[in-house]
Amino acid sequence: MKNTESSIAYKKRNFITIFTKGDIFSKLSYFICGLANMKNGQIVKGALFLLMEAAYFVFLFIKGIGLLKELGTLGENLQGMVFNEDMGIFEVISGDNSMLILLYGVVTIVITAVFIALWLTSIFSGEHARQLREAGKHVNSFLEDVKSLFNEKIHILLLSVPVAGLTIFTVTPLIFMILMAFTNYDAEHQPPGNLFDWVGIKNFITLLSSSDRLSSTFWPILGWTLIWGVLATFTCYFGGMILAIIINSKGIRFKKFWRTIFVIVMAIPAFISLRIVATMLGERGIFNILLQQWGFTSSSIPFLTNVAWARVSVIIVNFWIGVPVTMLMVSGILMNIPGELYESAKIDGAGPFTTFRKITFPYMLFVTTPYLISNLIGNFNNFGAIYFLTAGAPNSLEYFKGAGKTDLLVTWLYKLTKDSNDFNFASAIGIIIFVISAVITLITFQRSQAVKNEEGFQ
Amino acid sequence: MMKKTVIGLNLDYYIRAMIGAFIGVVCLFAPYTIRDGEWYSFFTAAFKLISIKAGIGLNIFLFLLLPLVILSGVFAVINFVNTSVKGVKIWQAVQIASTVLWTLILFSSKSIFEKAGLYSGFLNKNLSVGYWLGLVSAYFTLVMIMKVSETNTGYIVLSILSIIWLFPVLWILLTALRAEQGYYVGYFFPKGLTLKNFINLFSNGGKLPFGRWWLNTLIVAASNCVINTLIVLGTAYVLSRTRFKGRKAFMNVLMIIGMFPGFMSMIAVYNILKGFGINQSLLALIVVGAAGAAMGYHVTKGFFDTIPKAIDEAAIIDGANRFQIFTRVTLPLSKSIIVYIVLGGFLGAWSDYIFPSILFGDKQSSYTVAVGLFWMTDFKRIDTYYTQFAAGAVIVAVPIVILFIWLQQFYVDGLSGSVKG
Repeated sequence: MKNTESSIAYKKRNFITIFTKGDIFSKLSYFICGLANMKNGQIVKGALFLLMEAAYFVFLFIKGIGLLKELGTLGENLQGMVFNEDMGIFEVISGDNSMLILLYGVVTIVITAVFIALWLTSIFSGEHARQLREAGKHVNSFLEDVKSLFNEKIHILLLSVPVAGLTIFTVTPLIFMILMAFTNYDAEHQPPGNLFDWVGIKNFITLLSSSDRLSSTFWPILGWTLIWGVLATFTCYFGGMILAIIINSKGIRFKKFWRTIFVIVMAIPAFISLRIVATMLGERGIFNILLQQWGFTSSSIPFLTNVAWARVSVIIVNFWIGVPVTMLMVSGILMNIPGELYESAKIDGAGPFTTFRKITFPYMLFVTTPYLISNLIGNFNNFGAIYFLTAGAPNSLEYFKGAGKTDLLVTWLYKLTKDSNDFNFASAIGIIIFVISAVITLITFQRSQAVKNEEGFQ
Repeated sequence: MMKKTVIGLNLDYYIRAMIGAFIGVVCLFAPYTIRDGEWYSFFTAAFKLISIKAGIGLNIFLFLLLPLVILSGVFAVINFVNTSVKGVKIWQAVQIASTVLWTLILFSSKSIFEKAGLYSGFLNKNLSVGYWLGLVSAYFTLVMIMKVSETNTGYIVLSILSIIWLFPVLWILLTALRAEQGYYVGYFFPKGLTLKNFINLFSNGGKLPFGRWWLNTLIVAASNCVINTLIVLGTAYVLSRTRFKGRKAFMNVLMIIGMFPGFMSMIAVYNILKGFGINQSLLALIVVGAAGAAMGYHVTKGFFDTIPKAIDEAAIIDGANRFQIFTRVTLPLSKSIIVYIVLGGFLGAWSDYIFPSILFGDKQSSYTVAVGLFWMTDFKRIDTYYTQFAAGAVIVAVPIVILFIWLQQFYVDGLSGSVKG
């Protein structure tokens, strides 16, 4: 890539020195965006910056300030009935909707953040144009700027759509949600009928350390989530690996046929296969019927309604679904293990078990650690496997309303938002899930070679 | 020990195989079941069944087991006297058949005894030492014969696992074709077969807008394929092949966003969509899917990372700009990863449940198949709709399974790409 910056590096200025050392146009362009661009020959670009600034301030003064002010209180006027003397009846007056106030406030903050980013861009862009001009170099025209989007500025072209999408539909809602964890937006404070308000970290205290039912629900569910995550990940990992080793071992013919059988199970959309198995495991489901006909048991087994059985069932069913995935992945890797390793092991008299323990497994573990970690986090948040199978059942009276003994944190979160509308607790749980995932990722990915060595394959 | 050697056979295990076969024969005379001190051996049970004219039915397993086990013992002797590859292969086939029968007896003893009126309230725990020892020795003998004939014993494991894995698949196929309606039936194989369940799904007589759901999902899936693929490819290319200020920061932000459970902020998404005026429509699903697509860039970036940079540099010398390199050099080299993303986008739309279920609430006409099928299996409706649910599941799953098997190789490439990081 051409490096136009290097020749003028000696004059490079930072955000402050652009102002202090700059001429009057540079200084003014802090307040009138794009002025420096216009002065240095980039009329269209400068005009666009100015337009952007104008649009933002129009928005800010007409709407934005009001929205930001309301954010502090989240609304004060309760919806209620007021006696209309002219008509002689009670009328409903609409109060403030705390939820919309919060959402609009967040949108305003995001718009402001975008504006600040563009404002900084305009300052540096103006400075860049000025330097080029002073050095007697060519200053890009607007058309040339557009062309550069297809070359050295291609990241702006290709990332603008994803960034816009993420900002609107992921980041904004995420900020909204995080803020919600610090309000009392629960079942008793539902807008538009009611207002909710900021409560600080009270929700976290309630969840983590109180004698409240929420707390005595949270810790057992967290415990089960961790157990589930570890068991689900490692059973599928080892099961899939053993299956792949068998299919790929010498002397097995029709490898493709065997692989396809397991791939069929994997290719069926997970919600379908999980719903099917859930109906099969019911009290009058086919499994119970057959087990009785075959004489294994005389009464039906509570696969999904007894706590211990349900927990075992979800892990086994997840095994059924997860093994083919690992099998496929491991099949790909197995072929990469150098064949000489196995031959020398065979000469040394190693049996299949020793070969697995000393060669296959260490190699596999080395290559698949990142996959294993992301899989572990994925399983902590494996909504489908639990929700479609048991929907968290069997429910427990010791738990907060609606939560059940096979619920993971994510499925409980879903129930809190969809069924009981306790958005504040749901958000707090979401933040806790984030913290758990982040900690695991940080610890393991820091050490992992595959991440450090990003350019290792080039 | 035998001192003979035969090419193609490993005779070290022969004695063990022979002992196993003999134990099997002995087990036929040992107690099959015991009750109150009174016991049947396999022979006495078979004679009893014949004498009361119990008919064939499942009893056939028992009648076949006896000659096959004895035959296996006979072959053990014949091969000992005159060892040949062909003889061992025949012995192995006989032993496979007898092992299968030993296993089937486990599942059919109850009906054999109860239908013949020999034993009421039979449970498999009433099976006695003769049976259990016979079962174990059958598998042991089979393994040993396979070792002698130098056949991979993995076949045994694969066969058993295949049956277990395909069992639910078979069940749902049979249910989809079942003429008798309802969730609860007391048998595995349907009494009558019909295609009516499929027809009901699409005709108005079935009252379900399944055709509509299917079409909705197809629209979303097709749009996902195109839009998400473009976004993922663009993002991955830029993050892999170009270096710009804020690149690392951008990747970190994506990683951090990805650690939050995605659907927790759905009420905000719902209201934003309402602000755009597209809530409760398919467009909302497509837009939200596309907006988050960039987060799945990892695998593709890992793939692009493996394409040598020298190729790009050569193209630059030839006067190509970055965009041309992307479209004319990188993409043609990335066929497998493109198929992987397209496939993922297409399949994802068929499985996506949470967001559509929140988005559409009870607006049935906008449902996707995932929401619709889930709705049908609610315990209030399952009795009415179970066979149609099965038919719907088959209709959705069959094309996907075929597509998946056809393009499997690309998926494997993508999967190992994710491993490489």
